[in-house]
Amino acid sequence: MSRVASALVRANDWLRERFPVDQQVLISMGSEPVPGHLKRWWWCLGGTPAYLFIIQAVTGVLLTFYYVPTPDQAYESVAAITNQVRFGWYIRSLHKWSANLMIVAVLLHMMRVFFTGAYRRPREGNWMLGVLLLLLTLGFGFTGYSLVYEQLSFWGATVAANILQSIPLIGPDLAGFLRGGSHVGSNMLTRLFVFHIGALPTLMVVVLLGHLLLMRTHGVSPLGSPAGPDAKRFPFIPDHLFTEIAVALFLMFILTFLAIVFPAGLGPKANPLVTPEHIKPEWYFFWAFRWLKLMPEQAAVATQGLFIALIFFWPLIDARIRKRRPDSELSIWIGAGAVISLLTLTVWESLHLLH
Amino acid sequence: MSLDQKQKIIIALAFFFLAALTIVAWVEGGRRRVVKAPDAVVTSENKDCVDCHRVKSPGIVGQWEISTHAKSGIGCLQCHQAEKGDVDAYQHEGRLIATVVSPKDCAQCHEREAAEFQASHHASAGQILGSLDNVLAEVVEGFVEFDAQGNKVKPSPAAVSGCLQCHGAEIKVLDNGKLDPATWPNTGIGRLNPDGSRGSCSACHLRHNFSRAQARAPENCGRCHLGPDHPQKEIYQESKHGIAFEANRARFEPLMEAKEWIPGKDFEQGPTCSVCHMGATKNLPVTHDVGERISWTLRPPVSEKIDAAAIKAGKRVKSWQQRRKDMQEVCSSCHATEWVKNWYVQFDNAVNLYNEKFGKPATELFQMARKEGLLTEIQFDEELEFTYFYLWHHEGRRARHGAAMMGPDYTQWHGFYEVAERFYMEFVPQLREVLAEGRRHGKAAAAARIEARLNQILDSDMHKWFLGRMSPAERAARKKAAEEFKKRYAQ
Repeated sequence: MSRVASALVRANDWLRERFPVDQQVLISMGSEPVPGHLKRWWWCLGGTPAYLFIIQAVTGVLLTFYYVPTPDQAYESVAAITNQVRFGWYIRSLHKWSANLMIVAVLLHMMRVFFTGAYRRPREGNWMLGVLLLLLTLGFGFTGYSLVYEQLSFWGATVAANILQSIPLIGPDLAGFLRGGSHVGSNMLTRLFVFHIGALPTLMVVVLLGHLLLMRTHGVSPLGSPAGPDAKRFPFIPDHLFTEIAVALFLMFILTFLAIVFPAGLGPKANPLVTPEHIKPEWYFFWAFRWLKLMPEQAAVATQGLFIALIFFWPLIDARIRKRRPDSELSIWIGAGAVISLLTLTVWESLHLLH
Repeated sequence: MSLDQKQKIIIALAFFFLAALTIVAWVEGGRRRVVKAPDAVVTSENKDCVDCHRVKSPGIVGQWEISTHAKSGIGCLQCHQAEKGDVDAYQHEGRLIATVVSPKDCAQCHEREAAEFQASHHASAGQILGSLDNVLAEVVEGFVEFDAQGNKVKPSPAAVSGCLQCHGAEIKVLDNGKLDPATWPNTGIGRLNPDGSRGSCSACHLRHNFSRAQARAPENCGRCHLGPDHPQKEIYQESKHGIAFEANRARFEPLMEAKEWIPGKDFEQGPTCSVCHMGATKNLPVTHDVGERISWTLRPPVSEKIDAAAIKAGKRVKSWQQRRKDMQEVCSSCHATEWVKNWYVQFDNAVNLYNEKFGKPATELFQMARKEGLLTEIQFDEELEFTYFYLWHHEGRRARHGAAMMGPDYTQWHGFYEVAERFYMEFVPQLREVLAEGRRHGKAAAAARIEARLNQILDSDMHKWFLGRMSPAERAARKKAAEEFKKRYAQ
């Protein structure tokens, strides 16, 4: 045995003594055969949001080095990041675009899970954790957008706080909690900042770990008949890992392309005294914004709450339906109806803003 | 897909990603170059000036670099370039330039602003040669050397470093082409420039960055409008306008650089001097004629409506009613109509009180004494002249300005109280001494005429308390009020 080889053996022994983890277990976990359908690229959408989340965590830490969460300096610090800090524009653009792509990826992942019925017994709990992850992702989007402290984001936050206020009974307290007072100002900015870089990431990591843990313990949901694509299985490492690496590189390329061609811009600075002619949220809230315009505020907020509750508890509702009619395809129709409705509302609102 | 194929895809994507990162680095390199030379556009004609002055006087270049001018490529020569034949033109590093930048130069681009300014009282602030203030600075406080032909050989330092820094000097170009140190540097607002124009834009718009936020700050006007004779800045600070501005200053300042700073639109409280006197409202444009919205002149011994002098001179000017209407338009951005009208009633009453009770009587008596020969023709050689000057020029103005700008303490204690004390305790006794002195020097008839008028004034409704002739009804009411006051403070 060469000197190098014996040194490596000694180092391995040293590590195993101090970290007594059964390596065989780790190897078997990594090489556990996964269903054949995971060979399809479309089935990478579960890992994609996780990867985008890591990009956001890294770029977010870098942005925090320069961002100042006070009303008089927030905008200036974002402007400094964008215009003066070395590679600041790139990091900020990566952060922005990965946030947008993450929402797209989460929604696509959810749609895939929904339409393949992967949320059904025994995976109802994991669906619910997934819905929580979606809500946390949207929370990231809202708080991050507001931190820029430009006119539209400031007034978007103001409108959001007002919407929150209209929730019966708890609304005023919730809005007061978010704003840290009666109006949008330094308290709200501090709170949004704390949510964005502290509370939400912590919750995200905890829920994400729960989501992954359940996925591993239940195993990947089978697709189709046993004689279908899942008839063949293949090891997670390296087969599926390679797929994920390829997707990650593709995403980095796309994100960089977007950062160069459509770098994160900066609108006029927030002015609490001047309401912009058109207030608009980020695109992923367009549907909710349009819904608000279609009916009285309280009715809109109540129906939106109901809609989210319906999504959250859908596996339990679906189970009741299928208990009565095992062959029911109602979930497909309801899912398709929901997707079409959300898309219609989103397109409607964006067309309205175009005019 | 086989593992081999996946590896090839990964290699291809890694290559694309690296290529994209190379573009990022290239973009970043370009951006860094831009950051090093901020927004300032140094045109080829200005490059030499900027390069040299960046070393010799970096502050000037630094000021210019953060200006809006710099962003548009408006540089040194656009303002300082002179033409052959200009009185103050001189060769500098191969260029014909002038040190003084006059409103005529600024008018190349800011024509409307320059025209408004030329029509304003500010523009004629340099014409103070015959004023009492100038007599004080050149004769009483200072000293001017004249030659045999009556030309000033050496000016009074009190005037050069004092009055003229605000009012503006008449800039003189020496035979060697240099500017006379007796007249330059000077950024007084009514400066008389070598090119024949009046004024100095940089009196308010500090060169070379010409910041709007700085021009709108109350301290800007406070450079000259302060002190014992016209403490507008101190009164403003005492007023609720000043309090509101100071309380919100940190919030406002970053926004005050904007082109528009309109009350009720861009901000909700705390107008500064420029907002009311010059700023745009929802219906009024910006004006550089600061008198456009002033209805009274509070400067002279007896206040009159601002258009009175022009009307007497047969000139047609904007009426005081229209000026007041415009100011009320400003007030209406934040106040209700009734509030504004009632406030003007209070203001008019205060000015009328000063005029009727002190301004007119003191001025009439003082002028009588001079006309009748009881005072010498020499200005400021007698105590009564200083007393009268203090009464209208210092305390009388403070009372009126205090009322005009909502400074209660300046209206009362620094104003009316001191006017009253000066009138009853100094002016009247000193006038009686002047009359006695006149009698001793054969001017008994004149003294008698003045004394009769003095007694008539003191016996009038406003002054008869001084002679102990308060009406019984008022005496009783005052006694009752005094007793209640004593009870309140358990005296």
